[in-house]
Amino acid sequence: MTKTTILDVQVADGADDKYRLKMGPQHPATHGVLRVDLELDGETIDKCDPQVGYLHRGFEKLAEHRTYAQNIVLTDRLDYISAMANNVGYCVAVEKLLAIEVPPRAQFIRVMVCEMARISSHLLWLATHALDIGAMTVFLYCFREREVLLELFAELCGSRLTNTYTRLGGVRQDVTHSIMLKLQRFVDEFPGHIAEYETLIDTNRIWLKRTIGIGQISADKAVDLCLTGPSLRGSGVAYDIRQHIPYAAYNQMDFEVPVGETGDTYARYRCRMEEFRQSNTILRQCIERMPPGPILGKDAPDLIMPAKPGRKLEFDAVAGNALIKLIDNRDLYMAGDVYVATEVPKGELGFYFISDGMGRPYRMHIRSPSFLHIGALATIGQGVMIADLIAIIGTLDVVLGECDR
Amino acid sequence: MKVQYKAKRNLLETILQVEILQGLALTLRKLFSRPITRQYPDEKPPMYAGFRGQHALVRDPVTNDSKCIGCMRCATVCPSRCIHIKTHPGDSGQRLIDQYAIDVLRCVFCGYCVEVCPVGAITMTEVFEYASYDREAIYFDQEILLANWDRFLEQTGYDDTYVNPFWRPRGGLESRLPAAMRRDVPADWTIEGQFVGTKIRQPPACKLITDTEAAHD
Repeated sequence: MTKTTILDVQVADGADDKYRLKMGPQHPATHGVLRVDLELDGETIDKCDPQVGYLHRGFEKLAEHRTYAQNIVLTDRLDYISAMANNVGYCVAVEKLLAIEVPPRAQFIRVMVCEMARISSHLLWLATHALDIGAMTVFLYCFREREVLLELFAELCGSRLTNTYTRLGGVRQDVTHSIMLKLQRFVDEFPGHIAEYETLIDTNRIWLKRTIGIGQISADKAVDLCLTGPSLRGSGVAYDIRQHIPYAAYNQMDFEVPVGETGDTYARYRCRMEEFRQSNTILRQCIERMPPGPILGKDAPDLIMPAKPGRKLEFDAVAGNALIKLIDNRDLYMAGDVYVATEVPKGELGFYFISDGMGRPYRMHIRSPSFLHIGALATIGQGVMIADLIAIIGTLDVVLGECDR
Repeated sequence: MKVQYKAKRNLLETILQVEILQGLALTLRKLFSRPITRQYPDEKPPMYAGFRGQHALVRDPVTNDSKCIGCMRCATVCPSRCIHIKTHPGDSGQRLIDQYAIDVLRCVFCGYCVEVCPVGAITMTEVFEYASYDREAIYFDQEILLANWDRFLEQTGYDDTYVNPFWRPRGGLESRLPAAMRRDVPADWTIEGQFVGTKIRQPPACKLITDTEAAHD
């Protein structure tokens, strides 16, 4: 075998060399703009090298130039199919940093919107995952239910996708009787819809052939690869932040964490289907036990005034340049750093803040589950067939908006 | 909790392809159910108060002009910095608006500008169909923003009593609101008429200290 070198890169020209295929970034099965560089031996993948960064918008840097309240808008665009869960995760982290208390009603509403986001995200996952593997009908049925949830979001906060619903110290809008009535109807009907999806694919022999034994990850390896969420639980590790480090009102909810055994694509599929049911019971509990009271804490900072909780400012002080001077004031907040993780539909979403006391974060780091799941793809994707790689990308449930940030 | 699997199919089910037939039966059943597709351009989606759509400047019926006082709060809070305001001081110390423009192509539709406005001058309407082929048409200056408001009232049939959840957030405390925002709202927007669950877990028993008792202490 001879090799020529062009610009220090070895170029294959032998007959027995590997075939190099660049899958993506416009490939419809890569869920966005993921490019996977493959080295193929026939149809088997010898080396799988995911390339990210096509959707990079520099959120971590942008956050350093905006106040804590303004950054809520950025979190909508991380995992854009479960924006509510990101909003809650961000606010829980900032509230811990700034020591802001959240009233119980707001905590319940947060759990409610989180679970609605989880159902809507899992529905989109099931729809696209099934479509990748070849089941078209499930796609349409999933979008039927997702539409109900998105419309509820629109009624709740005025936007279907980029919600910007939570505020530091609470939430923006209270729920209404009409929203809760519609949600109650959804919660009553949804188990029937889950049964419909399962009729279509659960025992379908094509589905079983494409999922059982594909992308198998042992429990140890899944922990080593930093998998979280249903992708980890499919391998038999019962780790769910909602139960282990409860935030919002999750410690008052009765629910179970579904855990798979085999760690293959089918186990992760079953985990997520079971999470549908668990989320549904959490929603039911939220509706039944919604406490009365305010939705914004007493010491919640104003959207525009980055003041110490409880301190009032004159109206003129916040206009124009005065505010910029105020934000740069280093004794506004406590200095320090904090890492808070929350369970979003994809896995563990963590926010790490370094505060130097100013009205905006000195540094914001986002630990996004999708980024680490794509990192794991290099290991899981080795030695599988190309068609199975599509199933594996689908089962890891990655969203490139969150991965590239 | 371990996830449950359905039983493995037996030989008869394998031969008769029962699970495929079940799936097809479901699809066949849906063939006779009512379609849920919304034929979009003909059929509009439902709109709810507080939808974050096209921007508008509220026309004050008294002065027939914008209510804006030039406090710069919206321009300051805007995360994408797309609101451009220029003012000059008037005779009695107030600010007079020279320019009020929104670069909608940069807007992220977070609604913060409406939320912080102390006089309810800017709002977001329920209009969302205003795509254009050129950038100039989506750069809204004060005239266009006022015209947006007139058109919104005309199309939807609202009048001056129109109030949206931006100005008067549902469940928000009235004491936190500026005077201009304390308006009449539907009953379940207020904290008294809010939705409460039927099976609330009772908090642990503790003595409540009323205001009068606290005053005596």
